[in-house]
Amino acid sequence: MQGTGNPYWDCVEGEEFCLPYCPLCQKFVFYPRKLCPNCFKSPLEWKVVPGRGKVYSYTQVRVSALPEFDSITPYVLALIELDVGVKMLSHLVDCPSEKITINMPVEMVFREIAGQKLPVFRPGEGL
Amino acid sequence: MIMSITNKTAITGMAELQPFIRADDRRTLDLLAEVTALALDDAGINKGDIDGLLVTPPSEDTYFMWPAQVAEYLQLDLSYMNMVELGGASAVGAVMRAAVMVEAGLCNYCLCLSGGIWDSQVFNTREGKTAVMSRAEIDYELPYGPMGFNSGYALAARRHMAEFGTKPAQLAKIAVDQRYNALANPLALFNQKPLTIEEVLHSPVIVDPIHLLEIVRPCHGAAAVIVPSAARALNGTRPPVWIRGAGEAYTHNSIVYAPVLTATPIKKAAGKAFAMAGLTPADVDLVSVYDCYTIAVLMALEDAGFCAKGEGGDFVENTDLTYRGQLPCNTHGGQLSCGQPSYAGGMSQVTEAVRQLRGEAGDRQIKKNRFAFVSGNGGVFSTESCLLLGRDR
Ligand SMILES: [Zn+2]
Repeated sequence: MQGTGNPYWDCVEGEEFCLPYCPLCQKFVFYPRKLCPNCFKSPLEWKVVPGRGKVYSYTQVRVSALPEFDSITPYVLALIELDVGVKMLSHLVDCPSEKITINMPVEMVFREIAGQKLPVFRPGEGL
Repeated sequence: MIMSITNKTAITGMAELQPFIRADDRRTLDLLAEVTALALDDAGINKGDIDGLLVTPPSEDTYFMWPAQVAEYLQLDLSYMNMVELGGASAVGAVMRAAVMVEAGLCNYCLCLSGGIWDSQVFNTREGKTAVMSRAEIDYELPYGPMGFNSGYALAARRHMAEFGTKPAQLAKIAVDQRYNALANPLALFNQKPLTIEEVLHSPVIVDPIHLLEIVRPCHGAAAVIVPSAARALNGTRPPVWIRGAGEAYTHNSIVYAPVLTATPIKKAAGKAFAMAGLTPADVDLVSVYDCYTIAVLMALEDAGFCAKGEGGDFVENTDLTYRGQLPCNTHGGQLSCGQPSYAGGMSQVTEAVRQLRGEAGDRQIKKNRFAFVSGNGGVFSTESCLLLGRDR
């Protein structure tokens, strides 16, 4: 999906995190799409978003069925609740699994995962 | 005012094939034909009586015009047909829809048909994963290497543990009690020896906190039920099992966008079904709830009102869920012991309830058998369909 004119992935390439925003509803939208899922109006505005949030839940994948993930297995899949009010699936990195707690603050970094640059999260301020 | 379908229709025919692992040269349409013949025999009617068909999707054949493909193969003469695609909720959802269509007069005998041949690598390869993913999941989740349903249910289980202190051993107990039930079910895939909590907890962690023995095993098979009107049911040869209440609810497709991880749409769906049936959880003698993972059973018991939200762990620890117990749960062993023959997995929850309410469950027959609560669950707590079935009208 990278480099296809999708502003989300174009921003990730430049290590920036952008999300569509509905000026009418004053809400961020994830996943990116053309219309606001609340009011069905467009266009949405793309805004740079601070990559801060907290761990809503997580799981350590011990057995991955995808061969391109073999070299990083086990890895921690995390459901992140961003401060701007949306949830996204990502990885939690730079943190031993026994140190992870629900609701711990995290911040976004960019890492190459299975050949693709992706926004992931590491423990944030307060840790 | 909401039209009620309470006791207007019944299940009179029921059949399932023994789940199996090796497909060899068996094909989905043949399985559907085999099980249809058994269900017709069970209902004591002829093929020509069937004028409605609700069928769940195939996995090896193409979806296109699937009801017509099935009707042609089975040589059915129909006035109503459709495909029901609600993931794991499809089978239960089909029964609810059959009740509505029969009550509305669109058909007289509706055949609810599910199952088929399922690739053993279903969900496990990139192709298998994308086959059950939305575009959004492929674009924004697949790059992170999710383990499909395994990681989705693991995220829910983890959050439930963190919020409510639910323990791995409590979840494991669900698999253990259901295996006890399976020992009395000759059709179960896993019915050779009892299971212990230690064995579950010592089985490999696939996606933590979920162990291998808490995960359903994909297999092949088929199951069917036949739904006629009350008048036709009363004239039949088998004791009718009455469709007393039904309800559905949906909140998301991918679990990432679920409003919360520790409550499911079962609350709303079961609430509707209980209200329609004029029953409460205290009236229920059997729970037959979708069990792709142990956490799915625990959350279903909470959200349907068999215990309070957050108390599911203590509840299953202190409640005998076997057919001998206070709250018999998945007395056939559930899908965790019978395997998941694609969409027919969810139908096993219906067929077992019918068997128990008829008093035909053999060694595992429950003594008090007036009402059963049945649920189907699609995706990761995405789509929930609930039924209340009754022995007495
Ligand atoms: Zn809007």
